[in-house]
Amino acid sequence: MKKKHILIMFCVVALIQLFVPAQMIYNQEKVLNDGKAYKFKTRPIDPNDPFRGKYITLRYEINSFKTRDTTWRRGDAVYVYLKDSLGYAQIDTISKYKLNLKTDYVVAKATHFRSFKNYSNKSARIHFDLPFNRFYMEEYKAKPAEDAIRVRRNDTDLKDVYSLVYVKDGEAVLENVFINDVPIIDYIKEKDNQ
Amino acid sequence: MISKFQKELQTLVNDKIITQDIAEHIDKYYASKEDNKSGRLFTIFGVLGSLLIGMGIILIVAHNWDHFSRSIKTLFAFLPLLIGQSLVGYSVFKAKGKTWREASGTFLFFAVGACIALISQIYNIPGDLSSYLLTWTLLCIPIIYLLRSQAVAILCLVFATYYACNCGYAFTTRGQTPWYYLLLFVLVLPHYIQLLKSKPQSNITSVFNWLFPLSLIIVLGAFTDRYGDLGYLMYILLFGLFYNIGKLPFFDSQLLRKNGYVIFGSLGTVFLLLITSFKWIWRELFVMQIGFATQEMYIASILFLLAFSLLLYSYSRKWVRQFNLYRFVFIIFTLYYIIGFKNATIPTVLVNVLILALGIMAIKIGADKMHFGTLNYGLLIVAVLITCRFFDTNMSFVLRGSLFVTVGAGFFIANYLMFQKQKKKT
Repeated sequence: MKKKHILIMFCVVALIQLFVPAQMIYNQEKVLNDGKAYKFKTRPIDPNDPFRGKYITLRYEINSFKTRDTTWRRGDAVYVYLKDSLGYAQIDTISKYKLNLKTDYVVAKATHFRSFKNYSNKSARIHFDLPFNRFYMEEYKAKPAEDAIRVRRNDTDLKDVYSLVYVKDGEAVLENVFINDVPIIDYIKEKDNQ
Repeated sequence: MISKFQKELQTLVNDKIITQDIAEHIDKYYASKEDNKSGRLFTIFGVLGSLLIGMGIILIVAHNWDHFSRSIKTLFAFLPLLIGQSLVGYSVFKAKGKTWREASGTFLFFAVGACIALISQIYNIPGDLSSYLLTWTLLCIPIIYLLRSQAVAILCLVFATYYACNCGYAFTTRGQTPWYYLLLFVLVLPHYIQLLKSKPQSNITSVFNWLFPLSLIIVLGAFTDRYGDLGYLMYILLFGLFYNIGKLPFFDSQLLRKNGYVIFGSLGTVFLLLITSFKWIWRELFVMQIGFATQEMYIASILFLLAFSLLLYSYSRKWVRQFNLYRFVFIIFTLYYIIGFKNATIPTVLVNVLILALGIMAIKIGADKMHFGTLNYGLLIVAVLITCRFFDTNMSFVLRGSLFVTVGAGFFIANYLMFQKQKKKT
């Protein structure tokens, strides 16, 4: 290969390598700045990623919806349309495809479909995972964060645990997780000091 | 300091075996070889150093530094990447040696991974491990060609395999087919082909001769969707393809330890045949309703066509000098498989006969070529076959015992006879 070609190739490769993470940042910042904020009631649990470290997995209260459609399959994209109810996000409707609605939506992934053939009064439910279910934390804080909620789950002090998510054009960015309106990291610090 | 070797050379000169001139030439020749060796060692340590530093950075990043602001974390995300790119740029434009190229490439590989990992953390970007591995590997494949780096090629192949396993073999939920693995594989392949052309005998090429088939063997199972039992057929076809690749004159003329294809092909075929020599496997297949328009069938068909075309090509080029049953196992097994849909007993019996024939064939090849390894490999196949039949047949203990004694005696006699034959020859 000629030196000129190598130079061009090197520049292209270096630019792509810089562009991809920069694009990731840009997309997230756009949603954080322009998106609408929703609070999703949640419960955290603590797993691990070999490269990206400790995070808490968030299990949301809204994770299923009644449906009469029996063709749902695991792994299908679920368009979840949101509405605000008493300050928290609720499901307006769901769909397999993008609908022509003005309400905000996020794209979830179908986990399982449960039908109740024997119970005529209940229709089937499609269960799904919302896409913003990871919250990265410092390695020594993820486990205490989970414990803070698990140990006190019956505590009246622990009224609401929610994640603050910005939504725009189907993109969602998880900004922070709050326990009783205090960011989870500060909440753990407070508990440690006590 | 005068080495022992130089002392010996001096003795030869003093005894007038060689002239002073020749002694100097010999000394220079070996000195240049030593230089080459130390250069290679330096490269290996350079790569190891970069590997450790790179992985160290990833681990430090994985700590998740909560008390830094978003902008500082972003800066730290790009810092190793920029350093890595500068080092690679320096290696390329200053036309640095192998050590520089390999070490800087390895460092950049991990710097890219660390950068995406940190951005994912800062913004809590969802996406599982497999999508992260895919982006990472895709961004690093061009470095292979830019630097002609073997270490980065190996890393890309290893991470492509990791991606496919993470994506395809899901333990809790059903995995997805890692189709992008094929893209990654095809993108790394030209580098391997180039190596085969330019350095067919070198050690690094033989490393790839093992890694490429190994990666495919690990990953193939992830390409099964609903009909996992068709995996047996897919794997036999893959091993058949490998065996026939390994028997191409290009690979066959090399040392056996440099020919991963033939070893994986042969061992894999025998191993799978031994598994399918149990009747319950065929009973399961017998009840299974397989649609022909399935993902597994398509992949099996492609593998069959590839292996079959290669076999035909080898015959047309007159590369096949004598009959070798191992080359045809994939065709025979496919026929058994078709019978297996209708009847479970016939293929079970036929697979047992096939293994026995393969064992005898290996013994014969070993005896003809005076190769102890092949001879004992054949005997081992027969011995394992008999052991397997211990579990599902109602043979009397006396008969089973006698069979073992016979095979054991066979080991001694065959080796002894060959030893004698070899002695006579020498």
